[in-house]
Amino acid sequence: MAFQEVIFWVLAVSSVAAALGVVLLRDIFRAALLLVVVFLAVAGFFVMMNAEFLAVVQVLIYAGAIAILIIFAIMLTREVQQGNLPNRLQPAAVLFPVLLLAALVFVAVDTDWNLLQDQSRELQDNVEVVQTHTIGGIPDEMRGDIPGSDRSGLGELLINDFVLPFEIASMLLLAAIIGALVLVRER
Amino acid sequence: MPETNLTSNLHLLLPEFLLATLAFAVFAIDLLLPANRKKLLAWVSVAGLIGLLALALALLWGENEEMYGGLIKVDSYALFFKSFFILLGIFIILSSVDYVGKHLSHPGEYYGLILFSVLAMNVMAASREILTAYVALELMSFSFYIMVSYARYNPRSNEAGIKYVLIGAFSSAILLFGISMLYSTIGVTHFADISATLANAGDASPALWVGLALILVGLGFKVAAVPFHMWAPDVYQGAPLPVTAYLAVGSKAAAFALMLRLFAEAFMPSIDDWQIIVAIIAAITMTVGNLVAIAQHNIKRLLAYSSIGQVGFLLVGIAALSETSPLASNGVMLHIVGYSFTNLAVFVGIIAFFNMTGKEEIADFSGLADRHPFLAAAMAIGMFSLAGLPFFAGFTTKFYLFTAAANEGLLWLAGLAIVNSLISLYYYQVEIRHMYIQPAPDMEGKLEPASAHNPHPPPVGGGAEDASRHSPTPLIIGVLILMVLGTFFVGVYPFPIVEALDAATSAILPGAGS
Amino acid sequence: MPLEAFQVLSAALFCIGLYGVLARRSAVLILMSIELMLNAVNINLIAAAAHMDQTAFTGQIIAIFVITVAAAEVGLALAIILRIFRNRSTVNVDEVDLMKW
Repeated sequence: MAFQEVIFWVLAVSSVAAALGVVLLRDIFRAALLLVVVFLAVAGFFVMMNAEFLAVVQVLIYAGAIAILIIFAIMLTREVQQGNLPNRLQPAAVLFPVLLLAALVFVAVDTDWNLLQDQSRELQDNVEVVQTHTIGGIPDEMRGDIPGSDRSGLGELLINDFVLPFEIASMLLLAAIIGALVLVRER
Repeated sequence: MPETNLTSNLHLLLPEFLLATLAFAVFAIDLLLPANRKKLLAWVSVAGLIGLLALALALLWGENEEMYGGLIKVDSYALFFKSFFILLGIFIILSSVDYVGKHLSHPGEYYGLILFSVLAMNVMAASREILTAYVALELMSFSFYIMVSYARYNPRSNEAGIKYVLIGAFSSAILLFGISMLYSTIGVTHFADISATLANAGDASPALWVGLALILVGLGFKVAAVPFHMWAPDVYQGAPLPVTAYLAVGSKAAAFALMLRLFAEAFMPSIDDWQIIVAIIAAITMTVGNLVAIAQHNIKRLLAYSSIGQVGFLLVGIAALSETSPLASNGVMLHIVGYSFTNLAVFVGIIAFFNMTGKEEIADFSGLADRHPFLAAAMAIGMFSLAGLPFFAGFTTKFYLFTAAANEGLLWLAGLAIVNSLISLYYYQVEIRHMYIQPAPDMEGKLEPASAHNPHPPPVGGGAEDASRHSPTPLIIGVLILMVLGTFFVGVYPFPIVEALDAATSAILPGAGS
Repeated sequence: MPLEAFQVLSAALFCIGLYGVLARRSAVLILMSIELMLNAVNINLIAAAAHMDQTAFTGQIIAIFVITVAAAEVGLALAIILRIFRNRSTVNVDEVDLMKW
């Protein structure tokens, strides 16, 4: 448990610091590199939360594809080193996030999550909920024989219960491809 | 894991599957057609949509079935909006034909994307699960992002496109954060489960409250409710005209179709928590929208603010939702229908005018009544209806909405809405005065070729272009006549539509017997 | 780790992203800030799913779709940015100001 906490704090501090760097650094290229750090740290959190598949997807899609695309776009801009300028809205732009952060932290600390989960569990008698009250450090008997073998459940859900959004997402990707081609191609 | 039987009633989704097929067919035919025959694609799309409308009505009439384990529900509410969106798609394509031929390249992808967005809207109206609704919403938004920036060499269109994409992604992020808060509080995503959980939760926990608030903010951005509206005028002004019309009517109607089902089926038990917030947003939205509209010089910006005002009216209906009365839900849907006919009448008039002159400032419309009396009359009828004068659609639909608000004890909101209707009458009257009373400037300026305002040369065209510069094409006139008739129909004899609405409302609010 | 820890972390990332969107001029940086916000959403979703039940994957499913949509969104946004850059040689949102923002 102590080891988990150490990992959590290392990842938390590095991800928040890197995220602050993304929005505050003047050099937009460095900002993009720090964004990759955030993505990787978030992948680390996913592993801690037993979402190994998501962690892999996060590394492949975010740290791989999206980061490359963004860096590619940055290469187009001429003023890379001074590219990240503030706009004219500074006071409001600081005020809103700070207020929201205060509200969200209050909510996270104030809400009795375990109670809420119990309530909702009672109501969903069709769903069998096994509650652990903590994240990570799951007893072995709940993970199946091989760690990570429950990923098949994820895939099953994706092509069974959620096959409709899955299909719409394929149309969405097609629309994005067509759109990008139409907009960028000359004639 | 509950077993879901996927194949038993799959035929109920036939219209959606065929719509996707139609879109693919349009993309494919586009590759085979020579550049001067691209108009055929519009006719293929329209014919396909008409066939789909007939099929959907024949196949789905009276159906009331859940599919995919409750992800979507094929009921009369979904059918009502399905027919509405398909009709809307037909009208938008018809009013785009001339404009696309003159000002835009890649017509095949344009019509295909309209079909994609119609498909997405259909799913939005039918979905009863948050993830499905969200993905459908994104498919619609993606189609719009592309269509808004479709005039590739027009910097205004580019600018509108990037602003729309960034605001769209930003609002999606807020919406998703709200969804994640909701999910972490109650752990379910189906509307029915959310409703059951909320009904039993008693006092809403702060986390749930924040989740609902963020979802509301995200949706507020999507429909351009004040104070989340600042993107709308820029995007409306920069987008190609038929896309602006589609954006003003289609995206709003779809977002409200989604919101109506979400609030009626999922959030109804905690109405005490959100009713007053929605009411306040509605009040601010219509007031700001209508007041700022007075100061506008560009007709697209004027209509952008006017549509923000209309969003305020629709939010009045959402705030007045009630478990026992169908009035508010009927009012929202009727207003969507009436507003669509009305707004399209105005927009199609502007498209016809723009096709002739390439101008879109309000002052440019001076003397229109002398040169094109029908065009001016149709636009005037549309604007009177938008302002809510009797005998036009706007009066009847607003009457329903305000009655619903008054019945739910939101009398102040209904009063404010009436005041706002009067304000809106003022700026519409300014525009109408331009068309009817102001003298026309000399004809020399009027007949300046459209391409002067568009840096890129018209992709197709030829002999027909000269003729169409002097008078609207028969196609546009035909669409305009239909829209004006629709405006009168909803205004004078809305009862057949109201009957359909009653059925639709009873699908989402079973308690609201009519 | 308790759920609250992940919630606070996610709130922090979300608000940093929100600041980036509100305060910066470059379209690319606004896009990056939106990605921060979406990562916060994913942390929140997966933490909730992990907290609730080791076999309830709905939270993870939503996260997968969030990632999919985000990737497509970035691709599309960059296509438009590329188009603007070819036409106007700038990607700063408030230099792209034929119309008032």
